[in-house]
Order: sequence, then structure tokens, then C-alpha cells
Amino acid sequence: MKLGFSPEEELFRAECADWLQGQMAGEFKDIKGITTLTAKAERRKEWEQQLAAHKWSCIGWPSQWGGRDATLAQQVIFAEEYARAGVPGRVNHIGIELAGPTILTFGTEQQKARFLPGIAAGQTIFCQGFSEPGAGSDLASVRTKGRLEDGEWVVNGQKIWTSLAHISDWIFVVTRTEEGSKGPKGLSFLMMDVKQPGIEIRGIKQINGDAEFNETFFTDARCPADSLIGAVGDGWKIAMGLLAFERGVSTLGQQMAFRNELDAIIAAAKANGQASNPLIRQRIAKAEIGLRLMRYGALRMLSNTDHSKIDGAALTYKIQWATWRRSLGELAMDVLGQAGEVAEGSEYEWGMLPNLFLFSRSDTIYGGTNQIQRNLIAERGLGMPREPRGDL
Amino acid sequence: MDFRFSDDQLNLAEGVRDYLSGTHGPEVLRRLDEHGNRDPAIWQGLVQMGLTGLCVPEAQGGLGMGLPEAALIAAECGRACLAEPLVDTAFVGVPWLVAQGQLGGLEDVVAGSRRIAVAHAINPWEADGDGAALTSVDPLRNLSVRVERSRDTSAPGVSTTLDANGEGDDLLLNLGALMSAAQLVGLADAMLDQAVEYAKIRTQFGQPVGAFQALKHQLANCSVAIEFAKPVVWRAASALEHGLESAPVHVSHAKVAATDAAMLTAETAIQVHGAMGYTYEVDLHFWMKRSWALCGAWGDRAFHLKRVDDAVLGGALPIGPQHTFA
Ligand SMILES: Cc1cc2nc3c(=O)[nH]c(=O)nc-3n(C[C@H](O)[C@H](O)[C@H](O)COP(=O)(O)OP(=O)(O)OC[C@H]3O[C@@H](n4cnc5c(N)ncnc54)[C@H](O)[C@@H]3O)c2cc1C
Repeated sequence: MKLGFSPEEELFRAECADWLQGQMAGEFKDIKGITTLTAKAERRKEWEQQLAAHKWSCIGWPSQWGGRDATLAQQVIFAEEYARAGVPGRVNHIGIELAGPTILTFGTEQQKARFLPGIAAGQTIFCQGFSEPGAGSDLASVRTKGRLEDGEWVVNGQKIWTSLAHISDWIFVVTRTEEGSKGPKGLSFLMMDVKQPGIEIRGIKQINGDAEFNETFFTDARCPADSLIGAVGDGWKIAMGLLAFERGVSTLGQQMAFRNELDAIIAAAKANGQASNPLIRQRIAKAEIGLRLMRYGALRMLSNTDHSKIDGAALTYKIQWATWRRSLGELAMDVLGQAGEVAEGSEYEWGMLPNLFLFSRSDTIYGGTNQIQRNLIAERGLGMPREPRGDL
Repeated sequence: MDFRFSDDQLNLAEGVRDYLSGTHGPEVLRRLDEHGNRDPAIWQGLVQMGLTGLCVPEAQGGLGMGLPEAALIAAECGRACLAEPLVDTAFVGVPWLVAQGQLGGLEDVVAGSRRIAVAHAINPWEADGDGAALTSVDPLRNLSVRVERSRDTSAPGVSTTLDANGEGDDLLLNLGALMSAAQLVGLADAMLDQAVEYAKIRTQFGQPVGAFQALKHQLANCSVAIEFAKPVVWRAASALEHGLESAPVHVSHAKVAATDAAMLTAETAIQVHGAMGYTYEVDLHFWMKRSWALCGAWGDRAFHLKRVDDAVLGGALPIGPQHTFA
């Protein structure tokens, strides 16, 4: 056990801080501090490319594919400095954190050469085509069909809740490639070009007025045969592997953003006097404890590099942060009081904290709902009997 | 002792519920949200049911009813997510004017031609007032900046604004908080209904998601919170009606209990809907945003908890076993 950073690591921190702060004070000043997922999407694509041009876009990847082979400590430091500089979230986080690692782990050499450079360069934005109208928590019930025809996969069906599909170039899709199969068997994992006539995207408005997610329709959409990751029928295994990456290093950057949110709440409480209200003080203290708990939990989880066995502790991570953040949204509103509920002018412009309140309603839903997380912890982590499921 | 509503009172509330569910459905909310204009026929319907005159004395042409009936109807307004200024006009403004002996112009309120906007120091805004426009998180509320003005409440006109003195008037505050609490229990009821209905029709893993105990138990928790908030609201209405010294404590208790029930139910109802609950297309968010807005209106949770703890620890509230009804 060694907690803390070495002098070389502190040098690395200075390098990150220097560059990131320079960018946010200079060429990319206009995107500093953005907290919604879709605002200034075009500029944020340029930001992805700027990161890539300076080899900061995927530091944890192998250097062969545009990364820096960064150690865990370096990734922690970069995430900290990224948030501290007020840089907005990555519009290509799905490419960098999900698609890339999936291809690195399960893809062929040709597939790596085909996809990784574009992702690393910030040229290929990815989105995630898992959920369907009938397949949410029950992901294994996907019905979108894929069939091989003249050396191409032809896909028909519908995905939903596809975040950022409208600004994406590629989508990875879980499809049913074995006619008549049920459940996790008979699924395959395909990479598809979004910008083709067979794919249509319709935005879905969210409760905060943003339209970050979409319905994605496939009508004879096509991709070459070698766009299949893994073997035919491996779709479930790969989808589950990908979900494990979702719990990986990306959680660090997310936590640093949480730090900024809690700091904004503390600043607001000091400014409006709520900091002297004992109820609010206790909740702020609890939020601080919760955040530190997650930080150490994440570092322990990431230090464990043996991903071959299911780690019971890692399963507890999603529900912990999601529930913590949902309460953080409520704390933000209680601190702001009525100031959070009204705005001058004719259109309500969601500020950072009211938006946090609304957005955090979804944290306990996407990436596996709290109920599904508890089932996983109990059934896979603790080995408890599975709950009876119906057969409608 | 009889802690029940009479059949007449319940029938009245049911009539209002039926009327609103027939004329003020989600399509009305969506139209209002998109185009911003209210449908005058809905207001006329409320007037014809006598609701604007519910608390106006019979001598002035009203129904002469009290705060418990008003709270019961306010809960129905919450259930319907009503986008008309009925609660402020008829259940906050009128009772306050009557208590001050200011009976002039109430006939116009009964007739529906005069509405009352209520301003109070505890709120930075007023609903349906005449100050500069504000936008609320609740897209259906018509808010404006609270304007300091004289207490002349008898000026003729379509709309009258009540303004308590600068420090804020206690009765007005208690009426506002009580009627917010009443609306909140109605809003919570409606959100619970929506979640229960969705849990019955949405299937995953081969069964309705409502069959999973994880969801059933959460919805049951909401029901517990709501059912224990309601009697507290009715109790507060009765205490304020009878001018009990302890009425402010009861009102605060009601506001806290109703706030907690509504926020828990909003959170749970979204969760039960999964990603659907996070969309604008599903109606739920109108109720959730109204709840959020009313939780902060007329004193937030912290304000009302402090009123309770001041009264309990400061000795103003008699707390021995013989004081059940104090
Ligand atoms: C903001 C946001 C972004 C998203 N982005 C993407 C994306 O980019 N790509 C993508 O593929 N998907 C995405 N999703 C979809 C997300 O993965 C699903 O919403 C999630 O898996 C839940 O599915 P559902 O919404 O269909 O809810 P349902 O599965 O219908 O669940 C409804 C309710 O039933 C409960 N429930 C279901 N099964 C059980 C059970 N067995 N036991 C107990 N309770 C149960 C749930 O917990 C929930 O409360 C996104 C969702 C959101 C909200």
C-alpha cells in the first residue's frame, strides 16, 4: 500500500495542469465550465481533436494506439487536473472509455488498426446501441436483427435512449443474429457507421429540456462482415465486458466533476447563509464523507488489476455513486431554496445546480438501475438465489 | 371528537376531481406549456362550481365554507396539477381578506371576474402578479417579481394583489403554507398513481415490473408517507380555522410532512418509469416540477422545521400527554 504521489508524478501533474489551464484560458476559453452534455457540441469535437494533437486524448491506452501507457496514478492525476481546470466532459467518452477498450480487448489486429486511430484522434465519435423499447433492464431481450448477406451485415430494428447519437459517427450495436434465439444466446456485437441511409435518428427531449438521447431506427442498415467484434454469438459476453469498462477509470474523471459540484454547493451555502443552518451543515458533511468514500473505493477497485474474476466490491460501485449524486441534487436545491426555482426572463435557463438536480434523477437509471445493481450485488456478489422471473 | 370529513365535504371534493380530470388533463398542460395561454372555459367551470366563493361568506354570495374544505379542494388542484390561480385567489387570498374584515369586492371574486395575487415577504415572487416576468422551473406557473406596494386591496379591477406588510404577515404565511401542503399531498397522490399504472403495464424479464418486490416496496413506502401526511394537513387546516394558538406549528408540521411525501414520491415515480421518467414526453415531470416549486414556496423545509423546534424546545407548545389536541 502506498498512498500519495512521487516527485515524478507531481511533475506530471504540473505538466497536465499547465497545458489544461492554458487551453481553458486561451483557445478553448469558450467551452470552459460547460456542464450539460450537448452544449457547443461542435466546439467540443474540436476540443477532442486538440487533446489528441497533444496526446492527451486517451493517456491510459497503449502508446502504439495513440495513448501514453499512463499508470493508474497518472490517470488519477490527469482526471483531477482536468476537472480542476473546469474542462467540460468529453463528448467522445463512449469512444474513449467504452468502444476503444472493447476493441483493444476483443478486436482483431485489423479492427484495432481500423478503429483505434480515429477514436484516439478525436475524429470518430461513438455512441452505444444497447437499449431497445422492449429491452431496458432486461438487455438480453434485444430484438434488433442482424443477418449476413453478400459479405455484409444487414440490420433491422430499433434502439432507444442512444446518448449523443445525433453527433456521433459510429455506433456499436447489440443485435440478434441467430434467428429464433432467446436471451443472451444468439447475440452479436457490431460496429456501424451512423451516417448511412439505413439509420435514422430522432431526438428525445428530457425533463431538463436538453435532448441528449435519441431513438435510433435501423432499416436495412449495413456494415462490412468484419465489423463484428468477437465471434458470431459472442455479443452478450462482449457487452458485459464493455459494461465492466464502464465501471473503470472513467469513474475517476466523473468523481472529479462531482468534487466541483459539491464545491459549488458549499460556495452557494456560504454565500446565502445556509452554511449556518445545522441541517444543511450535516448534509454537506455527509456528502463530503460520501465523496471521499467513493474516491478511495474507486482507487481500491482500480488498483485491482485482475479482472478475470468477478470482484464483489466492484459490483457495489455504481449504486453508491448514483445514489450519492441523486441526493447531492436534492442538497443543491435545498441550499439554493427558491433562488433555484425561478429565473429572470422568459425562458428558464438551468444553472449548474438546478440542472444537477434534474440530471441526477437519471443517475440511478442509466447503466443499470439501482434495482438491477442490488440484484447483481446480491445474486452475483453474494451468491443469493435468483429472484423468480416471469415468462410473458 | 370526530376526525372525519362529512359526506357532503367528500362529495364536493369528488365533484371537483371529476371535473378536473375531465377538463384539465395532460393535453391541457401540454397546450399551456407550448402556447402559454390558459383556457378561460376552465376558469369559468371552476367559478360555476362555486369554488371561487368557497370561503366567501354567504352574505357576500359565497358558500361560507372553512379551511378544511378549502384544503381538501386544494389537494384536488394538486392532483390535477391545476394551472389556474384558484388556490391563491380563493383559499389563501379570500380567507385572509375575510379575517381582516375586508369584504369589499368579494362578490366579484365569487363571480370570477376578480382574481387575487398574493405577495408575501417570504417569497421572492408572486403568482399571477403584475411585476416583471419570472420563469419558474414549473413551466405552468405564471410568476413575476414581487412588487412592494401599499396595502390598498380594495381598488377595482380584474386582479387584486394582496400585499402583507414588509415583515410578512403571519396569517397570510400560514394560509399560503397550508394550501401548499394540501396541494403537495394531491400532487404526491397523482404521481403515485402514475407510477403504479406504469409498473402494471411495463414488462421486463417476462413480467410486469410492478411484480418485482423491489418496486412494490418503494411504492408502498410512498403510500405510507402520503397517508401519514394527509391527516397532518387536515389537522393544520382545522387548527388554523379555529384560530388555535398552536396553529402555526401544525401548519409547519403539515408543510414538512407534505414536502417529504411529495419529494419521495417524485423521486420514486421517476425511478419506476426508468428512462421514460426522465423524458419530457411522459407527463410525470409536470407534477414533479410543481412539487419541487411548492416545496420551496411559503417557507422551505428548513424554515418550517425551525418553527416546530422553536415551539417545542422554546416551550410555546404544550407537549404533555394530555395535550393531544393542543
Ligand atoms: C440519461 C440516460 C442515458 C442513457 N444512455 C443510453 C445509451 O447511450 N445507450 C443505451 O443503450 N442505453 C442508454 N440508456 C438506457 C438505460 O440503459 C436504461 O434506461 C436502463 O437500462 C433501464 O431500462 P428502462 O429505462 O427500459 O427501464 P425498465 O427496465 O423498464 O425499468 C423500469 C423499472 O423497473 C425496475 N426493474 C426492472 N427489472 C427489475 C428487476 N428484475 N427487479 C427489480 N426491479 C426491476 C427498474 O429498476 C425500473 O425502476 C440511457 C438512459 C438514460 C436515463
